[in-house]
Amino acid sequence: MLTPKTRSGSPSIDDVLQTANHIILGKEREIRMALACLLARGHLLIEDVPGVGKTTLAHLLAKLLGLDFQRIQFTSDLLPADILGVSVFDRDSGNFRFHPGPVFSSVILADEVNRATPKAQSALLEAMEERQVTAEGKTRPLPEPFFVIATQNPAHQIGTFPLPESQLDRFLMRIAIGYPDRAAERELLSGADRREMISALQPLLSAQAVLELQQKAMHVHAAPALIDYVQALVEHTRHAPEFDAGLSPRAALGMMASARAWAMIEGRDHLLPEDIQAILPSVAGHRLKLAVGGDMTIALRQLVESVAIP
Amino acid sequence: MQLAQFGPGLKRRFYQWALRGRAPEASPVVLTQRRVYVLPSRAGLGYAASLGVMLIGSMNYSLSLGHVLTFLLGGLGISAILNTFRNLAFISITPGRCSAVFAGEVAHFGLVIQNNRKAERPALRMCADGGDWIVLEVPPADRIEALLPLRALKRGWLELPRVTIETRYPLGLIRAWAYAQPKQQCLVYPRPALNAPPLPTGDGDQKGNVQLGRGSDDFAGLRDHHPSDSPRHVAWKAVARQHSDELLTKLFSGENTQSLWLDWEQLPTGLDNEMKLSVMARWVCEADAARLTWGLRLPAEVIMPGTGESHRHACLQALALFGR
Amino acid sequence: MARASASLNQQQVFWLCAAATGGFAPLTPWLPWWLSALSTLALLSRAFLLWRKTPLPPAWFVNLIAVIGSIGVGFHYRTLLGKDAGVALLALFLALKLFETKTHRDAYAVVFLGYFLVLSQFFYSQSIPVAVISILTVVLLTATLVALNRAQAKPAASLRLAGVMVAQAIPFMLIFFVLFPRIAGPLWGLPQDSGRAISGLSDSMVPGSISKLALSDAIAFRVRFNSAPPAQDALYWRGPVLTDFDGRTWTIARPGVSTALPYQTLGRGIEYDVTLEPHQQYWLFALELPGKLPADAVIGSDYGMYAKKPLRERFRYQVTSYAQTKPVKEESSEVLRVALELPSGMNPRARALGEELGSKHKRDAIQIAADMLGRFRNEPFTYTLSPPPLGRHDVDDFLFATRRGFCEHFASSFVVVMRAAGIPARVVTGYQGGEINPIDGYLVVRQADAHAWAEIWLSGKGWVRLDPTAAIAPGRVEKNLAAALPAGEPIPMLLNADNALLRAVRFRLDAVVNGWNQWVLGYDANRQRDLLKALGMASPDWQSMGAALMVLCGLLMLALMAWTLRQWQRTDPVIRAWREFQRKLTRRGLVAQAWEGPRDYGLRAASACPAKAGEIAEIETLFETLRYRPVQSADALRKFRYLIRVFAP
Repeated sequence: MLTPKTRSGSPSIDDVLQTANHIILGKEREIRMALACLLARGHLLIEDVPGVGKTTLAHLLAKLLGLDFQRIQFTSDLLPADILGVSVFDRDSGNFRFHPGPVFSSVILADEVNRATPKAQSALLEAMEERQVTAEGKTRPLPEPFFVIATQNPAHQIGTFPLPESQLDRFLMRIAIGYPDRAAERELLSGADRREMISALQPLLSAQAVLELQQKAMHVHAAPALIDYVQALVEHTRHAPEFDAGLSPRAALGMMASARAWAMIEGRDHLLPEDIQAILPSVAGHRLKLAVGGDMTIALRQLVESVAIP
Repeated sequence: MQLAQFGPGLKRRFYQWALRGRAPEASPVVLTQRRVYVLPSRAGLGYAASLGVMLIGSMNYSLSLGHVLTFLLGGLGISAILNTFRNLAFISITPGRCSAVFAGEVAHFGLVIQNNRKAERPALRMCADGGDWIVLEVPPADRIEALLPLRALKRGWLELPRVTIETRYPLGLIRAWAYAQPKQQCLVYPRPALNAPPLPTGDGDQKGNVQLGRGSDDFAGLRDHHPSDSPRHVAWKAVARQHSDELLTKLFSGENTQSLWLDWEQLPTGLDNEMKLSVMARWVCEADAARLTWGLRLPAEVIMPGTGESHRHACLQALALFGR
Repeated sequence: MARASASLNQQQVFWLCAAATGGFAPLTPWLPWWLSALSTLALLSRAFLLWRKTPLPPAWFVNLIAVIGSIGVGFHYRTLLGKDAGVALLALFLALKLFETKTHRDAYAVVFLGYFLVLSQFFYSQSIPVAVISILTVVLLTATLVALNRAQAKPAASLRLAGVMVAQAIPFMLIFFVLFPRIAGPLWGLPQDSGRAISGLSDSMVPGSISKLALSDAIAFRVRFNSAPPAQDALYWRGPVLTDFDGRTWTIARPGVSTALPYQTLGRGIEYDVTLEPHQQYWLFALELPGKLPADAVIGSDYGMYAKKPLRERFRYQVTSYAQTKPVKEESSEVLRVALELPSGMNPRARALGEELGSKHKRDAIQIAADMLGRFRNEPFTYTLSPPPLGRHDVDDFLFATRRGFCEHFASSFVVVMRAAGIPARVVTGYQGGEINPIDGYLVVRQADAHAWAEIWLSGKGWVRLDPTAAIAPGRVEKNLAAALPAGEPIPMLLNADNALLRAVRFRLDAVVNGWNQWVLGYDANRQRDLLKALGMASPDWQSMGAALMVLCGLLMLALMAWTLRQWQRTDPVIRAWREFQRKLTRRGLVAQAWEGPRDYGLRAASACPAKAGEIAEIETLFETLRYRPVQSADALRKFRYLIRVFAP
């Protein structure tokens, strides 16, 4: 599938991508996908082994887009209050005062989300879904934009609570970063410390600009033929024997939103079938279950190849 | 008789030829015009005979309108050929889902019937060779999943046999039919034994452990407190931070977690293999129904203790494919 | 492997009730009233039981009704074997069959029986309305078959599909109708029908029998002249010749017949063909006098033309008539004797007048006749459709008392006077005149044109026509009846010349009916041969017809097959052009995958043929714009199509 190196989209998006590619080497597609996920107002799940740059990616995006960033390390004794915040008795006023938790930031890195108990997980997932926090009977809106990057270790380990399938649906996309190629790794080893590079960066956008881009992405034109195409793809998963259960309407909506954001990043005001094909593995991969086992990547490629573009 | 000996072979060769020697076929199977056969049905033969009588009557009595009517009905017969053929031609069949069944049950092979035409296709009948007929109707430019019933007799993989799809719609005078054999198989679990020995759950103490399913060595996380949980396991510190009345229970994982092992070797040696598999299938079902954590030990395969739908499926699949 | 739904659902039984009603209802005019009532009752009660979901009556009860009905039919027709009795039994059994219809096989039997009943209507009528009703019934029966084959079909959808299928059947019907080899005559002897009403002229005449016909605008026959038609007052269509007179009634004398003409024809003949409505009698009508006889016809010694069988079907024949003839030999004395006979003691005054005229003109036939016609003209005789009743000596009463009469009064009294004068004379009945239908050019002769005139024997000249009506009412023969009658007389509505619109409608309608009669009902072996020759088939024998039939049906089937299998997808011009582009590239080995996006394909193509990369990129960008962008422009489409047309990879 097509990933043109440079296309004259919105200059700010191009700048963000260029700078990001400069810091995380050889991962243009993944960075682009993460950005698309953010611009489609979705949340991102990164499933990969430790040390491939998950944190760096989250940190970098927050910095470049001019958004505030919080990291929550999920552990088995993490409590919902540790995420959402607590009310503390204020002696001066004689009242309880709410101390917002780390969730009240625009970009949140939920690291190793499968280490925490389901209770803590669902606190975060509810906040993601509703974009607000209800604590002690009061509802507090979360900042806009609000973007959660959760990371999960793929290997099954004792004492982990893998996100249940129903919760996976809350993430618009799931991607893997993967090891860098040889040249990129060499450059990484010989270059400066990434953390320092990031802290030296200047924001290229602001929260307001990101909101505007999100609005713009929603208005990317989707021709009726492409809506048919998304429908055909979704329907195919509902009947195909290689999958256990088909994609939900929410997944179909997610495909449309992601494809629109992808098209905007590519600098277009209209969708192409290629946009849908590009985002399909990230949007559908974690929502489908293979019936007999095997490789999801291959199954998804077969899915694309067995549905004709209308 | 010679004919009787010759018959089945001839029939088999006909089916081979009808499927163009490609069984099982690559999907999607499209019923192109060459694969659709058309012959008059019994009612159609009656219709033709009626038309013959009407023609002779019209000739004898020089009924010009009688000729018109007979020829019109003849044309209607031709139109019936075309329309019946059309109702079946260019349907495409792709394999759908097929959930596993126990031996002795009826397997339902899912086949997705796709109608690319902007006209509905009513009154299609399908059957897998040896199964019952089902009647279905595909809306315009849509697809539906047909579930072909077929009794599963033996454990293991049950391959979808030759499928006949036919229609007599619209007039019932013509039967159009086609054969297809898409690649589709159904997993058949061993038939659960009726009189199986009880689950090998051991003595009462172990049983309690089995039901808790958790050790007490390593802290593994928190969950909502249940009244049955030991007060020693309540996470008081966490509750204090929580600012709510709910208690939380600490969970531990440890070496001494007891699991139920369903072991091939534990079975009486007098039983034959199929009987042993039946008993084990029964045990798996019972263990799953009791929400136990169990593992499976077969001569060539060990499935580590687990629970839930996929674990049950994995165990039963191992039993179904034992020795295959 | 039993059929999935061997038993019928309620909706399907309703359909069968409707189908049986549709098959049976058009027959009711021809069935005995009690049988119609019985069948209707059976159908209604079946539908009622179905509606109320009440169990059916026991089988013995239905069988009992069937036996009683059959006995009734046997009594009514005096047989159970004839055509009419057969149709009646069929109608009865169809209605009763519904009480024991439980399986699909029974249901098919009901529908097929319905098709038979449609056919049986044609025994009684083959008019255009009957044909229309039959088509509707066939659609209804076919829709029933559709409903039988689909458990939950919407009635409107079934009817629509049945209509479409019947429409598809029509071209096949036409091909078969034209080309299926027709066999002349019945395959086996037909049972004689009895009790069929006789319409038109009969073999006898009393005062009033012709004027009774004058109010009927039923068609007697139609004529098509091969050249210009003769003058209106020359159109004397000769029918039954009445010689025997008992004082009141004129009757036909059984004439000797032969195929040789008893007279010589002179001058040029007039060729025409006649399509005669069935009148259950032997005679055929022709202009005076026929020269060349049609096949299967004979001529009588009274110069009348006869068929060999009574005309039970519409009959078409070709004749050539000659205005001038002369007898081959002197008429036999027996014929002349009969033509002079008058019953004794009847009409004394008329006989006296005849004898007086005979002696006055010294038996000179021409002068006697002229004298008599002069009396009709000069004395106060009135031509009227409603003459007063006459007494026992009706000729006397007419000639000397009432003096009001219609053509039969004039003809009859004229012949009586001639005979009394010693001149052999006879009454000829038939039709006079007719009306040319400007739509199809056929001359239509109606019952209202029935006429009676006289013939006298002139030695050496033969039988000479004299029309007393022409003397009293010349308009009758020069124009038509309506022109001849005094104002205020009742005349057939359709003959009324005033109503121009009505006449125009009637002409049109009549032309349609005539076309139907000529080309549908009259399409027989002869007409088939003529038509096929006209269409260019050199020798229309059954082999060549069969071959043509097969070829045409095959072609039609292929065409219909292509039509039914078409995907009805009106492809967008953008897609069509893009496919063309892909086809051109496919020839270079770049097969487009169905799942491949246009941009991917464009890039693949561009890298495969770098020389054309610019063009490919331009076409691809245009395709994206046209297919996936919101704004469309005709210019872009034009450019896109142009680029693809000139594109040569």
